[in-house]
Amino acid sequence: MDQAVRELSYAQAIQEAMAIAMETDERVFLMGEDIGVYGGAFQVTGDLVERFGADRVIDTPISELGGAGVAVGAAVTGLRPIFEFQFSDFATLAMEQIVNQAAKMRYMLGGAVSVPVVMRFPAGSGTGAAAQHSQSLEAWLGHVPGLKVIQPSTPYDAKGMLLAAVADPDPVMIFEHKLLYKTKGPVPEGYYTVPIGKAAIRREGRDLTIVATSIMVHKALDAAKTLEAEGIDVEVVDLRTIRPMDKETVIESVKKTSRLLCVYEGVKTLGVGAEVSAMIAESEAFDFLDAPIVRLGGAETPIPYNPELEKATVPQVPDILAAARSLATGSR
Amino acid sequence: MPVEVILPKVDMDMATGRISRWYVGEGATVKKGDLLFEIETDKAAMEIDAPASGTIRDISGKEGIDIPVGEAVAWIYAEGEATAAKPTQEAPARPIALNETAPAAAATANVPEVVSAKAVNATPSNGTRATPLARRLAAGAGLALDAIAGSGPKGRIMRRDVESAMTAPKVEVKAALWPDQIISRPPASSQPRPAPQLSAGAAPLNFAWLRQGEGRPIVLLHGFGADLNSWRPMLAAGPVDAPMLALDLPGHGGSPRQTPADLDAVAVDVEATLAALDVGPVLLVGHSFGGAVAATVAARGDADVRALALIAPAGLGPEINGAFLQGFVRAKSEASLMPWLRQLVVDEQVLSKPFVNATLAQAADTELRTAQADIADRFFADGTQTFDIRSLITGLRIPVRVIVGANDRIIPASQSQGLPGEVALHTFAATGHMPHVERREQVLKILLEMARA
Repeated sequence: MDQAVRELSYAQAIQEAMAIAMETDERVFLMGEDIGVYGGAFQVTGDLVERFGADRVIDTPISELGGAGVAVGAAVTGLRPIFEFQFSDFATLAMEQIVNQAAKMRYMLGGAVSVPVVMRFPAGSGTGAAAQHSQSLEAWLGHVPGLKVIQPSTPYDAKGMLLAAVADPDPVMIFEHKLLYKTKGPVPEGYYTVPIGKAAIRREGRDLTIVATSIMVHKALDAAKTLEAEGIDVEVVDLRTIRPMDKETVIESVKKTSRLLCVYEGVKTLGVGAEVSAMIAESEAFDFLDAPIVRLGGAETPIPYNPELEKATVPQVPDILAAARSLATGSR
Repeated sequence: MPVEVILPKVDMDMATGRISRWYVGEGATVKKGDLLFEIETDKAAMEIDAPASGTIRDISGKEGIDIPVGEAVAWIYAEGEATAAKPTQEAPARPIALNETAPAAAATANVPEVVSAKAVNATPSNGTRATPLARRLAAGAGLALDAIAGSGPKGRIMRRDVESAMTAPKVEVKAALWPDQIISRPPASSQPRPAPQLSAGAAPLNFAWLRQGEGRPIVLLHGFGADLNSWRPMLAAGPVDAPMLALDLPGHGGSPRQTPADLDAVAVDVEATLAALDVGPVLLVGHSFGGAVAATVAARGDADVRALALIAPAGLGPEINGAFLQGFVRAKSEASLMPWLRQLVVDEQVLSKPFVNATLAQAADTELRTAQADIADRFFADGTQTFDIRSLITGLRIPVRVIVGANDRIIPASQSQGLPGEVALHTFAATGHMPHVERREQVLKILLEMARA
């Protein structure tokens, strides 16, 4: 059956995915602060409360720990909750439920239960929301066995990966960059999934591999266009999932290009790019490296409020250009 | 402070070397990594890149004379840098030996901060700085890392350095790549075939003896837009025991920049050059347009051609990739050139940095490319091969082999069908328009077999 493809924003694609999930599976429901009549902090749930009612689009009190506990408990009893955080920074308030309960229960109960909960985290900087509302904490959760952690970068993937997350028997954490919500892209109507744990090659190239996550994929693609005119042919790998990581795609890409640049918004030290770098250094791709691996990550500082300083703390296109040039020309 | 360009040590037991060819002239603006010159020792040839960006000045290393290793052959001045900044000549010329230790460098405190310091700092084998890829490639090719000059930061050996070394390796090393054959080689003291020392005026075309040796000479005619250096990668693919003479066709390389009227006019120049060099009976090899020239020379019968090898030859059918010819001739930058070079091959990995650099160096020569655009208009007007060598080949009474790549995107491989039964046809799968580059070992083997027959 042919499915019409429209241009939707990233936020609209997520809303559509949640609507389809609720239409096709009566166990699915939404929870979160101000997701009902208000439509969500970033208007992602929108008018879903009018379509599905307050029983399935539930406003929760201002307690992330309480809300996450209810969601995890509901999942254990067989429901399929999708819990929205207002800001990913507030994951810190719910760590007990995410890390000690959701991630552990299948293991501690010998496989007797599953925890099919989905948690959505608006993440990242660029909105002037300062230090407590702008972080990229995906590596925190990516460090926990038992969780799956994804970072869709396009509207198409946002919808397909959310539907894959709902269908997944284990807890899936979705980090949605706030600046992506208004970006548009083609999205088919109806139900489809994009697999968790599979990276996407957004651009093929032969001189240099850039492994990027979330909004950095778009910055890397911008940089790749400029570099193409300079004769530097960049391959851009969108990691999409940070746990479980698609090692094979990254390894094959590095074997082809011999150069690796990791670009991610989270703090550079102990971040996603650190894991990608170490994984490549341990892999068969090591013997194909023709230059040191380079990481571009967030600065070692809380995100500042001042807009110029805020921009300066995360990798921007000129930073990617400079790093890629020095890598590709062999001067570093 | 200007950056010194030295004659590097490219070979373990090398005390002096010769610059066979400068690619840039006095006052030229170069970018770091641009091809500067080519060195030839008795065993190896290597292309040397610019260690810095700036203007080339004080070129003291002349072509064709022996120059001690480590001696400055030119200086690169940054923009706006006064030429007086160059240190005076009394600064001792330091031979750069790879196993030399750092104190030797300390003794020359007056010497400016020089790029050659990287070679001094390099220590043999286990201490050598090299990328994992360079180490793997060097191991695979049987090359010793400490015999390779590193062009990366702090003298780090990178893929491009190993590839340069592989393009012009030591003969002994390469023998390891060809284990199924033991080539008996006369010791260096025995008399190789002397390179004829004729004045260039006697030969109408530019030429170079790429290899010396015993037996029937192999004469190589390059394709359209290339030059005699285009054969070097193939020669590096295995031991060569036959003398190899490469010519630059008219309008190409170092030959006169003229547009010949027809294939016979080119053939006349080739014949005159072979006669001037007194090469005697030869195996004549031509690639693409050079293949058509070779067939013409063989058919005319004025030169003593005993066998003919045609690699992806032109003139077997009407169709040729006209867009490639136009685009290739016009391309001036790496960005505009690479898409066309990729058309030449199936495996883009064979487009090595030296190969690309050499092609770019030619592309920068506007007069050369203008002459070649004229030649393309004359011989390949409107994407059509305006000449036919089928009838020429049919009348030949010497062994003829045609070597093509099945995936040739310049001249379709199908044009090699329907040749006379006595003509041998070698078709390489997954190969493009340059079988002698993409299947260099096999093609070289075929040519050596033909020369020995």
